[in-house]
Amino acid sequence: MADENGQATGAASRAGNDSLDATQSVTNIAGSNPNLPGTSASIAAVAVAGASGTANGGSGSNGTGSSNQGYYQLSVTIEEASLRNNGFLKPNPYVELLIDSKSKRKTDLVKNSYLPKWNEEFTVLITPNSTLHFKVLDHSSFRKDAMLGERVIQLSHILHHYNGRCEYLELTIDLFVTSKSDNRQTKSGELVAILNGLKLDMSKVGQLQQNGTAVQAINPVVSDAAAAGRSCMIYGGVRARMRLRSNNAEPPAATRSPLSNGVNQEQRRSAAPPIWEQQQQQQQQVAQPQQPLRMSNGTGAAAVPQTAPYPQQPPAPVQQRPVSQSPLYVNGSIENGGQANYMLGGAPDQAVCGAGLPVSNGADPQLQTQPAEDELLPAGWEIRLDQYGRRYYVDHNTRSTYWEKPTPLPPGWEIRKDVRGRVYYVDHNTRKTTWQRPNSERLMHFQHWQGQRAHVVAQGNQRFLYSQQQQQPTAVTAQVTQDDEDALGPLPDGWEKKVQSDNRVYFVNHKNRTTQWEDPRTQGQEVSLINEGPLPPGWEIRYTAAGERFFVDHNTRRTTFEDPRPGAPKGAKGVYGVPRAYERSFRWKLSQFRYLCQSNALPSHIKITVTRQTLFEDSYHQIMRLPAYELRRRLYIIFRGEEGLDYGGVSREWFFLLSHEVLNPMYCLFEYANKNNYSLQINPASYVNPDHLQYFKFIGRFIAMALYHGRFIYSGFTMPFYKRMLNKKLTIKDIETIDPEFYNSLIWVRDNNIDECGLELWFSVDFEVLGQIIHHELKENGEKERVTEENKEEYITLMTEWRMTRGIEQQTKTFLEGFNEVVPLEWLKYFDERELELILCGMQDVDVEDWQRNTIYRHYNRNSKQVVWFWQFVRETDNEKRARLLQFVTGTCRVPVGGFAELMGSNGPQRFCIEKVGKETWLPRSHTCFNRLDLPPYKSYDQLVEKLTFAIEETEGFCQE
Amino acid sequence: MTAPRRLRKELVDLQESSLKSFRDIKADDDNLLRWTGLIVPDNPPYNKGAFRIEINFPAEYPFKPPKISFKTKIYHPNIDEKGQVCLPIISTENWKPATRTDQVVQALIALINDPEPEHPLRAELAEEFLKDKKKFVKNAEDYTRKHSEKRPAD
Repeated sequence: MADENGQATGAASRAGNDSLDATQSVTNIAGSNPNLPGTSASIAAVAVAGASGTANGGSGSNGTGSSNQGYYQLSVTIEEASLRNNGFLKPNPYVELLIDSKSKRKTDLVKNSYLPKWNEEFTVLITPNSTLHFKVLDHSSFRKDAMLGERVIQLSHILHHYNGRCEYLELTIDLFVTSKSDNRQTKSGELVAILNGLKLDMSKVGQLQQNGTAVQAINPVVSDAAAAGRSCMIYGGVRARMRLRSNNAEPPAATRSPLSNGVNQEQRRSAAPPIWEQQQQQQQQVAQPQQPLRMSNGTGAAAVPQTAPYPQQPPAPVQQRPVSQSPLYVNGSIENGGQANYMLGGAPDQAVCGAGLPVSNGADPQLQTQPAEDELLPAGWEIRLDQYGRRYYVDHNTRSTYWEKPTPLPPGWEIRKDVRGRVYYVDHNTRKTTWQRPNSERLMHFQHWQGQRAHVVAQGNQRFLYSQQQQQPTAVTAQVTQDDEDALGPLPDGWEKKVQSDNRVYFVNHKNRTTQWEDPRTQGQEVSLINEGPLPPGWEIRYTAAGERFFVDHNTRRTTFEDPRPGAPKGAKGVYGVPRAYERSFRWKLSQFRYLCQSNALPSHIKITVTRQTLFEDSYHQIMRLPAYELRRRLYIIFRGEEGLDYGGVSREWFFLLSHEVLNPMYCLFEYANKNNYSLQINPASYVNPDHLQYFKFIGRFIAMALYHGRFIYSGFTMPFYKRMLNKKLTIKDIETIDPEFYNSLIWVRDNNIDECGLELWFSVDFEVLGQIIHHELKENGEKERVTEENKEEYITLMTEWRMTRGIEQQTKTFLEGFNEVVPLEWLKYFDERELELILCGMQDVDVEDWQRNTIYRHYNRNSKQVVWFWQFVRETDNEKRARLLQFVTGTCRVPVGGFAELMGSNGPQRFCIEKVGKETWLPRSHTCFNRLDLPPYKSYDQLVEKLTFAIEETEGFCQE
Repeated sequence: MTAPRRLRKELVDLQESSLKSFRDIKADDDNLLRWTGLIVPDNPPYNKGAFRIEINFPAEYPFKPPKISFKTKIYHPNIDEKGQVCLPIISTENWKPATRTDQVVQALIALINDPEPEHPLRAELAEEFLKDKKKFVKNAEDYTRKHSEKRPAD
């Protein structure tokens, strides 16, 4: 070895005289101009180019002589790897090492491990320009071995970095796998290898430089980052540090190249000095020794050693485009344009992350092996004790304190700050960013959400509504004559009434450029409601809180839903076999709505081109860039890299996938209401996302597009949210579906005398979002007004309104704005909230066997008459009725992906339940939080069908007689 | 503010009522939603020690119930290793806005003194309690001696 080295050095000095001179002169230039690093860098680059030119000439003359001596021995020890766990079975990994694509070396295989350790040393022959190809493979005895991750390393980069010396040089290499479907590289693990026993004269290497990418070999920045024990980045995804072996291991005076590709070099050249300084500070930070964070005693976060963040990017050529980026992430940072962020491509794009404290992550093997370590804190956190000796936690990153111990960031996560000082979190595993600190609950949601993905498309193909052919547009609807005009009041804002040449009246909606025959003021109402005769004497029309009309007979002091006027349909049955007042024809309503869509369709089409990985951002940008009315043109969706014409199938998939995407909990835009039934509501914490309103507008547009183009979305919203879309008043009962605890308390206040029990209620309330308590006055000076038996009705009304809107008002408004730009909200008036869910989500064949198998009974058993009748009814009825029955009992027509066995209630899994309650004269009732149907003991099948139909066709309030 | 106003009153009332079996009650200086106190049970095997508990009130109190957790380890079928306790009076189904913290604490003390093995959080302790009461008592006493806080002098 010594001989070899000796020869090498000799050869190098012989061959490289010219380049040596050049190098020195460059270094001098750089050194003489320390205040203008940008300038010196540019000079350096030019000078080096010249130098290598000279050197090539020199090597040419020596070429034949040095060809044999061009090989040096290098010892490569494959130590260990940590592989991402993404399968059912643990792999049997082994490593293949190829030098310049040949001379294959293999390690033994380690069985069943994500953390294999090999510790095998190979001596290989290399040239300074060699490539080392590390492949981690999964041995399989009956299949071709699968690639777990690989990486090609240019030795020259490392040699330049360490001035030609590889002595106990530890490399931590990010491994990547390339997806077969889209050629995308994803990080799959890390490999630790030691290079040892190589010493080259760098002047020789400069001469040997042949590929243009490594031109910036000689860097003006001289730092001690490469000194023993310090870790530094060679290039994206490769970190190196000299292992401390003994005391006499003198730190080599290496030149450190913080940037390793030419494009970035140019970037730097144009960078202003202050940024440069910041970058240098950054490098100092990076150069901190890697070690997990421990409790820091009362000192500030600055004293806390940070682990170096690990870079995440494969050195693919596309990622080398110039971007203004964080210096930590040398090769195309994750904020690169093409990357998906859970935040809009706003501030973090320019993230300087000057104050971003890299967080120790689980990829650090030390960390992984110490799960029991009690006081492992994320970077920038500190434990303090209060005056009682109680422990609390200070987060210096966000300057906040907590009682709860912070959970360390999950493996692969990092905390950063953007230019505006806002904290955000980077997930290097998926190369995404989010505003919310990832905790285990959120990650669980995320995993749950991600787990759904596989089913999403399959589910989409199962959804249906009536086929388009059945929806013959029935154009004629209420024509409003001049006489009705005044009674109806002015047209909504932006609407105009016009008359066609044949004197037929139509309406123009200027806001979103639609026309229709129907008067928007009466849209969706039945014609008969407009032209009604007078009521008999002593009668009065009233409306329930839900907007349902009923009739009061003051003569007998009774109320009824039946219209007492002559001519009004009498008796229990109307045309459709249900009481006239509750008659619905979903198909008719749907055809009205479809007719409006068709008659306002615009010619031509719009193209939306998306990449699957960045579906959300791509779609967002294209949908928001277009004027809203254009979104009514035929859609032509293209998934980049996937051939195929969109005859409907592609856009169906797009709607379904994107609707699943917007619910990604990492965007924190929506959340599951009340853990139950997977219905979504706007997340009050969405404000942490600075762009959330833009997002909500986008989602509003998108949901309207789904309705307009007759496509389905993956998962629906809560009933109160649909009611809000329909501009229906929300009632106290609506609270039950989203917050049963709150509802029960409010009902208790309503039903009990509150004057004597010291409730201490005032017309002001608090609630908590993301640890912050938000105070709200229910009315002016509410703080000073006590709630009493006298005024509690007002209190309950105000509380209901507040509970249903708190923290989400602005978001809802923006959503509706976005929606209304594409589809006028008036068009929805045909539907009730449950029908709205049906047209948005579509129906699904309900597996009645599965349903029955997973149903439990209380005070009934499976053989009870009523239970048998119930299932008979379910089997005999159609899918629409089944869907409505499900909505009635569980709050949604959606069945969980795993079938009825996975039905959730507000306190966890809750099977469909039928309970015997009440008398045969009662109507069935439901408790959506518990998926429970209260089914009275009816006397006959017909009675059960009648009552059940009545109940499920009705809106709430009715089902409680 | 709703919750603090009521809580301040409840806190003062509780402190003034000077219960023998619930003492040292205080709220955090900067957070009235978090109280601590010392449970001093009367019945064996817990009458040799005292147990620190924490009561956390939600911002929406009294519309939502408080949560109780034990800071002192205790060998009890109804309290798990993390100090969580299942108390019917503050469960979702039973909670009423008129329920006061002193009632909650009374219920808790009653539960400590007389475990309810029919609704256990720690099934193995419940089984021991039912099948081998002597062993249970001994274990609980040992555990109390080892982990609990000192009982107040008076």
